[in-house]
Amino acid sequence: MTTTQTSPAPARARLSEWWQRRWVRIAAVVLVALIALGAPLNLTQYAVYQVTMMAAFAVAVLGLNIIMGYGGQVSLGQAAFLGLGAYVSAYGVTHGWNIVLVFVAACLVPAVVGWLIALAAARLRGLAIAMVTITLPIVGIPLARRFDEVTGGSGGLTVSFMQAPEWTGLATDQWRYYVVLAVTVAFFLLARNFLRGRMGRALAIVRDNESVALAMGVSPYRYKVLAFTVSALYGGCAGFLYLVGVQYVSPETLSFATSINILAAMVIGGSASILGSLLGGVYYVLVPFVAGQVNPSRAAMYSGIILLVILFVLPGGLTSLPRALRRLRRRRDDGPGTRSTAAAGPADDGGTQAEASSQTERQQR
Amino acid sequence: MRQHAVRILAIAGAATLALSACGRDSGGGGGDGDGGEVEASPGITDEEITFGITTPLSGPTAGPGTCTVAGVTAYMERRNEEGGIEFGDGQTRTVQIRSYDDAYDPSRAVSNFRQMINDGVFGDILSLGTPTNLAVMPLANEQEVPQVFLTTGASQFSEDPEANPYTMGLVPTYKGEGEAFGALLAEAGEPITVAVLAQNDDFGEDYVEGLEAGIDGSDVEIVARATYEPADTSIDAQVTDLADSDADVFFNANSQHNLAVQSLLQAQQLGWTPRVFLPSNTSSVSDVLEPGSADAFPGVYTTQSAKDPNDPEFADDEEVVQFQEDMEQYASNITTTFVPHCAWSYAAGAALEDAFTRMEQPTRESFMEAVRSIEDLDAPMLLDGVTINTTEPGVPPISDVEVTEFNGEKYEITDGY
Repeated sequence: MTTTQTSPAPARARLSEWWQRRWVRIAAVVLVALIALGAPLNLTQYAVYQVTMMAAFAVAVLGLNIIMGYGGQVSLGQAAFLGLGAYVSAYGVTHGWNIVLVFVAACLVPAVVGWLIALAAARLRGLAIAMVTITLPIVGIPLARRFDEVTGGSGGLTVSFMQAPEWTGLATDQWRYYVVLAVTVAFFLLARNFLRGRMGRALAIVRDNESVALAMGVSPYRYKVLAFTVSALYGGCAGFLYLVGVQYVSPETLSFATSINILAAMVIGGSASILGSLLGGVYYVLVPFVAGQVNPSRAAMYSGIILLVILFVLPGGLTSLPRALRRLRRRRDDGPGTRSTAAAGPADDGGTQAEASSQTERQQR
Repeated sequence: MRQHAVRILAIAGAATLALSACGRDSGGGGGDGDGGEVEASPGITDEEITFGITTPLSGPTAGPGTCTVAGVTAYMERRNEEGGIEFGDGQTRTVQIRSYDDAYDPSRAVSNFRQMINDGVFGDILSLGTPTNLAVMPLANEQEVPQVFLTTGASQFSEDPEANPYTMGLVPTYKGEGEAFGALLAEAGEPITVAVLAQNDDFGEDYVEGLEAGIDGSDVEIVARATYEPADTSIDAQVTDLADSDADVFFNANSQHNLAVQSLLQAQQLGWTPRVFLPSNTSSVSDVLEPGSADAFPGVYTTQSAKDPNDPEFADDEEVVQFQEDMEQYASNITTTFVPHCAWSYAAGAALEDAFTRMEQPTRESFMEAVRSIEDLDAPMLLDGVTINTTEPGVPPISDVEVTEFNGEKYEITDGY
């Protein structure tokens, strides 16, 4: 990771230099980990529940980011995979399966469904995947209602599992939080390795230019199918985590509105960004809560206002905030003459993120 | 390198200390009252008791949802203005109502319920919706938090007080409505044919089950059946099938206004003009009957348990006048349009007051005991002869319904088939 800092501001240079030091980075990671581990011991039950749900939705957002942010394909069906994962988990729990088996099934069943859908949908170009995925909630909700022996019909399924084992000495909500946290961290690390490795680079080429990808011996079709399958797998995993938190699933979980909200959370967090996925999960849970605190009757309106403000001020999502601040400060520090160097900017993650988000914008249009 | 390791360890150590410094608050929250020797539950003090409502305040069901908040708020604010309510333990308390929007989404209802507990609310009252309340029910009973007077016609909430001691419905069940109409047909003592259209979910099934129970053993016969999905946009095909039977009665267990209108129009177009039954949710004169030109049918029936303040017959009714005044004064910032849920919510306010007077300790347990011992309370805004009674297990507090018939302008109590 090479940085070509051209900035003249000494204070900022010192700060970024400091950040380059290995031990500072490690310390930051350790600090964040400690906060994450210590949080449930100090928060109220409700706050722990909320953080648990943030983690669950962060996984769903990350899944969507893999197909949309990194793969460049618009998917509007993430809630369907989340719901499917939750239903599979609920079915497994009520039939007394081993919890590990429940988890594996909750990930694999949606992944297989996603794979089958992608096999057909990825053959089409442009917005075809969006059109195909838009039908998933439309088909899913009546199916969930109709097969009431399996799904509990429109009344949904209530489960009670993941009680804290005696030996931990934890309250149930704290135990659930740690389980969800562990799975979330594991899935985020897996996604990071996947996206930074050979497959991630191939996926980026497919997104940016399919002809180039073909010329380099990368099959766009296979990579789109792969990305979609992984995305569905993450959706299913998020469904399992959702069930751990909420302990209830109903057809409404599959609804189209949930998909759109996950998508909005992804764009707000930051498209094609792993950190952005995490922020998206936080946004998904936090904003309706804050809006409800202001005025319960107008919560939806306030959520909408917050959404619009973020999109206007930070089109690249929340992860672009440091970059936006840096740009702002540079504009203030430097005279107008040095604009051109500022535009060249540091070629770190921020740069690729900017490209990626403009890419998604293009896709959405 | 070693120096770095030392620094990391130092920071980690400091952070661990900071985090473990304050252990988790053992919870509890409110309860500084000293009602005798027992410890007060959260959400109640010597001056105040706080309830929460999780209900749709946005989305398609927001109309009835806001009404469930408005009615009880109007009732309680009036009492608060007068100085509060004297409880069974001798303390006079005011009643605070907090509302939480769940947009009819069960996961948000669960989240709201947890938030209520966090906010130190004594209990969940009047929350509207079947799937939302079903999702909350296990949690409420696990945590022993009252979840009472729920505005939903599903039978699960009042059915089994032993399994769910902290949960109770409020309004007549869909089954009860269907049964009342079935009984009306059976009373006629003549062979009647019925065509049934039902929404393909618990709502529709409950109505049909009730109808079947009501006509059991009589000459009334169901000759045709059809169902539709709640998400369907057209039910012309189903109505056409049913019209083929040329039944005397069209039993229309439909929860969607637009589909109810469509079914009435389609039946007329086919020249089928039976007597029609509509659920109380879907029988509004202005939203369903007028656009559906219901005058064409020889009779349109529904069931009713609350007074309609827009009905000129009740214009001078004392309860209705008081209700209108309270709504205007205390709840006009919540809603200004009337649906029956406003009246039910208002009546539930009276039921709560009745329970408070018998609540001898400031605990949730004592509250549930008091709530389960309301006997034939003549609550305001309910039709004459309809009372609130919680002593009979397995049925909701308001279980009586009157079958009413549309007379061209409004509904009035029917004098038989």
